[in-house]
Formats: sequence, structure tokens, C-alpha cells
Amino acid sequence: MPISFLLMVNKQGQTRLSSYYEWISMVERSALESEIIRKCLSRSELQCSFVEYRGYKVVYRRYASLFFIVGSRLSKDGNDNPENELGMLEFIHNLVETMDKWAGSICELDIMYQLEQVHFLLDEMVMNGYIVETNKMNVLRPLDLMERENQKSESMYR
Amino acid sequence: MATGGVNLSKEFFELLKAIGESKSKQEEDRIISKEVQCLKKKLEPTPQGHKNPLQSKKKAKEYLVRLLYVEMLGHDASFGYIKAVEMAASASLYHKRTGYLVCGACLSPDHEFRFMLVNQMQRDMQSANVLEICGGLLAATSLITPDMAPAIVGEVTKLITHDSETVRKKAIITLHRLFQLAPDVVTFDDLYEKVRKILCDRDPSVMGCCLNVIEDLCIRDPVKFKELIPSLVSILKQIAEHRLPTEFDYHKVPAPWMQIRLVRILSMVGQGDATASSGMYEILNETMKQADVGINAGYAIVYECVKCITKIYPNAKLLDAAGEAIARFIDSRSHNLKYLGVTGLAMIVETHPQYAAQHQMSVMDCLEDRDETLQRKTLDLLYRMTNPVNVEFITDKLLLFLSGTTDVFLKKQLTTRVCSVAERYAPSNSWYIKTITQLFEVSGDHKIS
Repeated sequence: MPISFLLMVNKQGQTRLSSYYEWISMVERSALESEIIRKCLSRSELQCSFVEYRGYKVVYRRYASLFFIVGSRLSKDGNDNPENELGMLEFIHNLVETMDKWAGSICELDIMYQLEQVHFLLDEMVMNGYIVETNKMNVLRPLDLMERENQKSESMYR
Repeated sequence: MATGGVNLSKEFFELLKAIGESKSKQEEDRIISKEVQCLKKKLEPTPQGHKNPLQSKKKAKEYLVRLLYVEMLGHDASFGYIKAVEMAASASLYHKRTGYLVCGACLSPDHEFRFMLVNQMQRDMQSANVLEICGGLLAATSLITPDMAPAIVGEVTKLITHDSETVRKKAIITLHRLFQLAPDVVTFDDLYEKVRKILCDRDPSVMGCCLNVIEDLCIRDPVKFKELIPSLVSILKQIAEHRLPTEFDYHKVPAPWMQIRLVRILSMVGQGDATASSGMYEILNETMKQADVGINAGYAIVYECVKCITKIYPNAKLLDAAGEAIARFIDSRSHNLKYLGVTGLAMIVETHPQYAAQHQMSVMDCLEDRDETLQRKTLDLLYRMTNPVNVEFITDKLLLFLSGTTDVFLKKQLTTRVCSVAERYAPSNSWYIKTITQLFEVSGDHKIS
């Protein structure tokens, strides 16, 4: 089952990055984001990293001040979502490790200062809600290339 | 590389600082409203400027990112959409990608600006620069509508056989997206033929990517994929036996998400088919063994195998292995693993109730656990374990939970389930009437579907 949304929200409920793979109106997004983070915050560290929320299966994990939250749709009767929850949890970890490698130790501020680049990184890994790349080198290589091309074009004007 | 914000303008830096330090949603809203006013002024058409062309381009890109922030935090920035569309036409790759990013995030599916981007996407897909092609493909996936599909399908199809694996990877997903939106433009059979070839792509990433497409197509028509079983089994074998380059390893587990996907596809194809299933027993056994390395990534694969084993034509040895894995999950101290154990047990127990008997104590513990997610999964398990002997006990538990929850989805599901088990296993008429009465008291306003 494809991913419907991927969020990075801090514990005050402020969204640091949101990526939606199916169209949801802005009003719905705001409601979803604030309710989901509240749900995640109400759970203890010892409880499992999975919740069901409004017809979505949600997998989340906290890194320092930031929650990484991934949601995919349950089927209509809520009985069968083939998504592998533990696999998704580890994917989140892989994403964080990749971001770490790219940033040289990622933190919430890095995401804020370079929002579009974090999106570009995420775009290498998730496309149309599908996990398309998990090999860190393959993710970072095009980003490096883009970075270099960007520096070249900027230096042309110095 | 993280920059620590050194390349941001002072204004932008101050904005981010203010957002970061804001203490409430209202404060954040105030900051963003001010920003909206500021951006509106800045994005007004400027007179013919004497500015350094790059300087204003750099600024323009920054304004776009600020627009993205505005919308991310729940405010409307539609006054700036046209700038994003313009920037997608930029010669600078970075600017182009930023333009596309903002368009993809902000333009609703029926927004007319999407049409304005078709030509640009086509041009990008024909570029000699691999990164530009990728930009076009990514943009197409988020921006294409059914009407626009015919315009780009030709280009996308060509890119499936491009030299660069980065391009091929994205092209197959974009093609699949076109199929989702316009199955008359890209038919199931078209896509199936393409996907068969890509399964043998020399680059493992491209192959792994196309497994997503195969999974989706398989949901629609599993029979078609039976002929691919030998290929799928062979690929899974290669991966599980560590024959991919080590850069595909994740904490020493080879390409876990590809393994999971392959097992999932096999479970769909093998369901209810003894011949098809027999072709997978060996690889499932091997995959489970290889994955059992004591970390989550491995457990995720084991769990997927367990699910597969309960779905395909039954095999006693595999069922025992699955039962054993489930037992270890349920008895684990990790709540995540308990969750997998309970879910796995729920799947196995409907057709093979004998596996549930040894876990009664653990299941009761999970039911009483403060973790709501675990409780819900255990309720699901109990529902599937219902029989004439335990129906009264289980119905009591379901009703208890029903009266205690406010989650609409859960209420609906539990209501349906109580009705269903009450009808099927009622030990007596009087018990049935009592139970249904209780049900009405607890959730009378919910429709029973």
C-alpha cells in the first residue's frame, strides 16, 4: 500500500516538513497534522510505534525533538492493510540515516534552513507514495550532482 | 551538506528564527500572516530592473521556498503560484526543481496552472541533462491529470529504456502513475509487458523500483503474474543470499524492503493455488531463516513471510515455522514485536485455530495492556478466534471496549463484529437478545453495514 503522507513535526506540534502523496485540502491537512501529533505525543516510549487514525495506519518514531510520521490508507473495512508496519518503521530510520549522511548529522534546524533540499532528498526515496530507493549512495549521488551544478552556475556570476 | 543557514538572506533567517521560537499556533499564525503581506509586496511585478540577473533569481528562489513555508503552515499563498510556474522554466536546475516542488505541493488537481506546465515537463524529459529529465519525471508524477496524460506518455515511455538508471527508475513510476490516472492511455497490458522486461534490468535499484508497480498490478490481476513466479523466486533468492552489492545492505540485511515486497507479491499470486504456492515454499523457508538476525529489519521480513504463509496454500512445515515466529514475537518484551505477534496470530488462527491455544495468557496480557494500539489488535484477534465455546467471553470484551471508545471508525467496526459473532455463535436466543440490546444501548446511533 502506498504512503499517503510523510510528516516531520516537532513536539510542539509545529510542522517542519510535509509531503502528501494524495491530494488533501489545506484545511484537512492542518487538522490531520495537529491531531496526529497529539495522538503520537499521548503515547509512551514503551508503547508500540503504530496507531490507527481516521482510516489511516500511522507509523511514527521520535528523534530528539522531531517526530517522523508516515501514514497509509487502511482499506475500506479497516481489516486489511498489507503495509508492513515494522518495515515502514525501519524505512523511517533509513531516511533519518540518509539525511544524517547528507547533512553530516541532521537536526531540526537543518531541515528548516534547507527545506527544499530535504524535499529533494525525500523525492529520491519516495515517489508517488512508493519507496523507490533505499540505497544511501544512490540517493545522495544525484543530490551531490545537483549541488555541484548549482555552485557552478552561482560562481559564474562572481 | 548542511549549511547552518549561512546562505539564507537575513530576512529569511529572521523568519525561520521567529517560527522556530514561536510558542503557540496563534503566534505562528501571526508571523505567517505578516510574511504573506511581505511576500505579496515582493512578488508584485517589478519594473525593468538594473539588478544583477542572478541576484534577483536567487531572491526569487528564496521567495518560492518562503511560499512553501506559508502553505506548509496552513496559510494560502496562491498569489505566488504563478511565480512557481515561471521558475519551473528556469535554466538553472535548482530553480527548476524548486519551482516544480512548490507547484506539486500547492496546485490542487483541478488548478488550471497544471496545464501550463505540460510543455515544460515535455521539454525537460527530452533534455540531455539527466537531472533535468528526472526533474520532469518527478514533476509529472505529482502534477499530471488524466487530461494531460496523452501529452507526455510518449516521452515517459521512451525514458524507460534510457541509459541512466536514475532515469529508468523514475520513468517506470511515472508510467505507472499515468496508468493510475488514465488506464486508457496506458493500459494494464502495456504496463505489464514493460514491467516484465524491467524485472530483469541490470541495475538492482531499477528492478526494486518496479516491484512497487508489480505489486499494484498484482492486486488488480494476480493470475497474470503466475508466470513470473520463477523469476520472482530467483530474484528473492539472490537478494536473501547476499548476492547484491553490499551498498544495498541495511544494517547487514540485504535490501529488506525489496525482500518484503517480493514476499508480498508471492503471497498474492499463491493465494488459493496449490501449484503456484508449491513453487514458493522453499524460498519462503530460506528467506525466513536468512532474515532471522535479531534486528527489526530482519523481523520485518520474517513477519511478511508469516503473513504470506497464512495466505497461500497451506504447508505444514511452513505453518509450524510461522507459528514459532509468532510465539517469539508475542512473548517479546518489545511492544512493536508483540503487535506483529498478535497480528500474525490473528491471520493464522482463522484457518488453523490450534496455534492460538498456547498463547491464551499472553493474549490476555495484551488485552489488558495500556497500549491502545495493542489492545485494538488483540480485540481483532479475539474476534477471529470466536467459536461457540468462547463467544460469550469474547462478546463481553468487545462490548466493553465499544462502550469505552470514542473513535468513530473503531465503534463502527466493533458494532459490526459484535452483530456478526452474536448471530453466528449465539448459545441461546435469550443471550442473543440480551447482547443485541446491550449493543443498541452502547452504539445505537451507528448504522450496521
